[in-house]
Amino acid sequence: MSTPVKLSTAEQLKQLQQARAVVLKDPNYWSSVVAGILPIVGPNNDVELRRWGADFIAEAVATPAVPVKIKEDVCMKTLGTLRMLVEEQGLDAVVLKSAILAAASVYPFVIRWIAGNAHDRDSWESIQAIKSQILRIWEGAPPPVRICCIKFAQRVVLAQTASNGMDSKQAGLDVSLSIIPPNHPLLDPRQLEAEATGLLDRMLGILQDNSSEALLVDATLNTLSVLVRTRPSTSARILNTILNFNPLKLANSPMTPKTKVLVRSMEKTTRMLLIHLSKRDPNNPMTPRIQQYIERLTRSRSEIFDGANKKRAMAGPPDGAQDAAKRQRMGDFQVVARIIVPPLGPGTHSLGALFTLTDNVALQGFDATTVPAALAARICVTALATVPPELLGQAVAGIRNRMVELTAAPPVQPPPLTAETSPLDVEDDDDEYEPDFYAAEDTEQILNKLDNAPAEVPQAQAPETVDALATLGTFRLPPPPVLDPGLASRVSQVAVTRVFAPLPTLEDSSRKHKSGINRLAASSFDRDSWLTVIIRIATRGTAGLEDDNATLKEEDASSLTHKSSLSLSNAIRESLFRYVMEDFRRRIDVAVAWLCEEWYVDQLARRTMSESNRSLHYERWAVKLLDGFLPYLTPQDKVLTRFLAEIPELSRELLGKVKDLCRDPATVPLAVTSLLYLVMMRPPARELALDTVGEIWVEYEDARPIAGKYLAKWRPGFMESHGSGPGGGAAAPAQGSAQPIAAS
Amino acid sequence: MASGVAATAQSEAQSQTTQNGEHKDDGGFKLKFCTVCASNQNRSMEAHLRLSQANYPVISFGTGSLVRLPGPTITQPNVYQFNKTSYDSMYKELEAKDPRLYRANGLLNMLGRNRNVKWGPERWQDWQVGMPRVSHATDKGSEGTEGGLVDVVITCEERCWDAVIDDLLNRGSPLNRPVHVINVDIRDNHEEASIGGSGILDLANSLNAAAREEREKVGAAAWDAGGAASRSSFDERVPEIIGEWQERWPHLPATWTLAWF
Repeated sequence: MSTPVKLSTAEQLKQLQQARAVVLKDPNYWSSVVAGILPIVGPNNDVELRRWGADFIAEAVATPAVPVKIKEDVCMKTLGTLRMLVEEQGLDAVVLKSAILAAASVYPFVIRWIAGNAHDRDSWESIQAIKSQILRIWEGAPPPVRICCIKFAQRVVLAQTASNGMDSKQAGLDVSLSIIPPNHPLLDPRQLEAEATGLLDRMLGILQDNSSEALLVDATLNTLSVLVRTRPSTSARILNTILNFNPLKLANSPMTPKTKVLVRSMEKTTRMLLIHLSKRDPNNPMTPRIQQYIERLTRSRSEIFDGANKKRAMAGPPDGAQDAAKRQRMGDFQVVARIIVPPLGPGTHSLGALFTLTDNVALQGFDATTVPAALAARICVTALATVPPELLGQAVAGIRNRMVELTAAPPVQPPPLTAETSPLDVEDDDDEYEPDFYAAEDTEQILNKLDNAPAEVPQAQAPETVDALATLGTFRLPPPPVLDPGLASRVSQVAVTRVFAPLPTLEDSSRKHKSGINRLAASSFDRDSWLTVIIRIATRGTAGLEDDNATLKEEDASSLTHKSSLSLSNAIRESLFRYVMEDFRRRIDVAVAWLCEEWYVDQLARRTMSESNRSLHYERWAVKLLDGFLPYLTPQDKVLTRFLAEIPELSRELLGKVKDLCRDPATVPLAVTSLLYLVMMRPPARELALDTVGEIWVEYEDARPIAGKYLAKWRPGFMESHGSGPGGGAAAPAQGSAQPIAAS
Repeated sequence: MASGVAATAQSEAQSQTTQNGEHKDDGGFKLKFCTVCASNQNRSMEAHLRLSQANYPVISFGTGSLVRLPGPTITQPNVYQFNKTSYDSMYKELEAKDPRLYRANGLLNMLGRNRNVKWGPERWQDWQVGMPRVSHATDKGSEGTEGGLVDVVITCEERCWDAVIDDLLNRGSPLNRPVHVINVDIRDNHEEASIGGSGILDLANSLNAAAREEREKVGAAAWDAGGAASRSSFDERVPEIIGEWQERWPHLPATWTLAWF
């Protein structure tokens, strides 16, 4: 049964598509084709057909391709069908959406028709019925239908409020109260306006409730622009509502991927609308408040999104919860504004006038160039030192506003369209698209620097006032004094000291960073991060650039202090060394991190540079660090074990230092257990460590019991072969590999 | 080259699935898409191609003031007018200027792709929404966009999203038609454009699947019976779909709003 019906539906749809193709090619057919389509949406048809038909009707009453006269005809023809649809119980949601949106397009045309044809009571009744039905649906409908109702309400408000005459002529946007003739028997302007006010309140309700339903919020916000711009009676109300709306409220709840999208969406939509409005109407008295709101919103947004999961909730609604509180703040703002920078009037101004703050005519006439430069400088310094910063800020902002005004102000007489007179405010050029100014467009476009490359046109001259700036000539800083190596090194020392200065004040890293290969070093601003930065500067900052001193240093490895005066990196290393030594038990991990970096850079140098001009640091600093803290070790210190276990490479020399610990009987267990740890936990270093234990056994009589215990386990036969005499084994162990053994 | 081969292979795979899997290709509901970048050359055109290969109705635009392509130096870009210069003539001009340079920087490859997709770059702000596009019948993805309306606009850069929203606010929404405007941040180079194209196609597939589901729920039962909350409609699901998509494509940050034509 169902198959043939389906087939015929598909066939019908195909035919309908063909009919649509005809009207798309020739708009003159719209009227007749729409009349033929209307029965399609009847309740007895297949839902696919009804959807198609309703969508087609919505398209027909909206399309800009149809001339206004035909459009009016089309709209009036659909009235009955639309009424039937919105009044149908249990209508398919997709059909209903199309019907409501079609009604939104039809509404202004019907109002205009009725305004001119007062006798057509039937049409008036139809549209009234459609309106009240849609407004009834609005309340309980699911969000996708509700946004259509919101849009319908917007068109009703637009048609039933007074226009400021700035309407676009398109698609009935110009229908307003002003087209209604006096004493119209059906249309009562006061009644209509009252209804519009009520509907606007209902629309704004979603913002007043600070709803988190982004779909509804966005849909509402995106309908408001045209109302604010062309219907003055609505604009204050709308702006006040938006300024009390907090699009970031949802950010207080847990941030799932979806909430992130919702919060970002509402915030961005609100911000875009306000930016759009303040740009269209910069002289609106609300503009300063809008600017404040946008700034606060931007700040809160970056706290929420860029603050790396800090999820700090917004302190409160962006512009205070209560009107009273807000007014208070506005008042404060004016009290603080002790300086008022009067805007420059129209016309041309001298450069001096641009910067003049005083109203006093005598002072304005004063020629400041008569003051000797030195005296003027002294006056400036004293004045700048004493002027309150907020006052200075206001004055600067005032002058800046003047400059913005000047550059934005339309020229007094229309200048020829050359690059010279086009606005320089290229940043906004892209957005300042004005469809009406086709002639000017190209010049502006060429000036547009927003895109990747500078324009091909030579840098344009600014308008008259700023002309004067050009006469000031170019100022060049005097060249800096020549830097000799001694001075450079002294300055470097100072720089190094300053690099270390913040360490004591930085926080300990509070939370554990996730480790692993994807971890970013120095990504949080705590002490660890800063140390990582320091270490990297020391090890990599000038790696490979250490010129001819490097070879010299290699030869003269004992006098580190001498070298440090020559190399910035070594100066930092010295400071790092001192930093670790100040508290080596707690800072051993800094030492390990540092040595890891040194080792890594050394490996790179081994791979990329010839032996003659590379300088290696790891071994030298590892020995120096070990030398540094060995004398202070107590028998209980775990630091040595940890240090030996974690540094990337061990050598005979390093372990030789450990061996020397056995001179003091108290630290023998420490030395031997540290070595034993290496034997057990670092297999690549096992032989080296065992050799050292063997040497201890041979060289230190006191250490024999404990060393012997481990040797018996790990190197059976060793004691027997050396057992003949205490001095017998003093020779170097057989393996004697001079090569350091890298840990795996 | 490799990406071209891959794209061809994929388009073959696509057409195969269309032949085998989805016989009702013309019957199945499809969202209409519009892709937007600055110059309607790289990112939006890559996405345009990918969506059209997947049989979606799609058109594309640029929001810049002029079409700018890299030139021999950073200060000498090649500048063209929107709607007036075809991809083909740009291709020929650049090929005549310096074939080696423009082959090496990928411009000729890109323009060669573009001229097989549609005639030339179009400017968003000059688009008369709702005007029939019957003259664009040879464009890839033109089938379904004859009415000059789309359901979803995908921009490839925050700045373009801002320009689109500002423009829509400026137009005053005369057509009373909702449109989802989504930004997918893609850096402007060939490689990222290709990755971004895959991301956008994935997003389009996810959105379309949800839209189809909604259309399959015939009648008012879908919301009258109180089931609305559990299985909400397409429009409501969009942010959720974007959120899930964002998890899959964390390097393509997205922004969304519901605007009006």
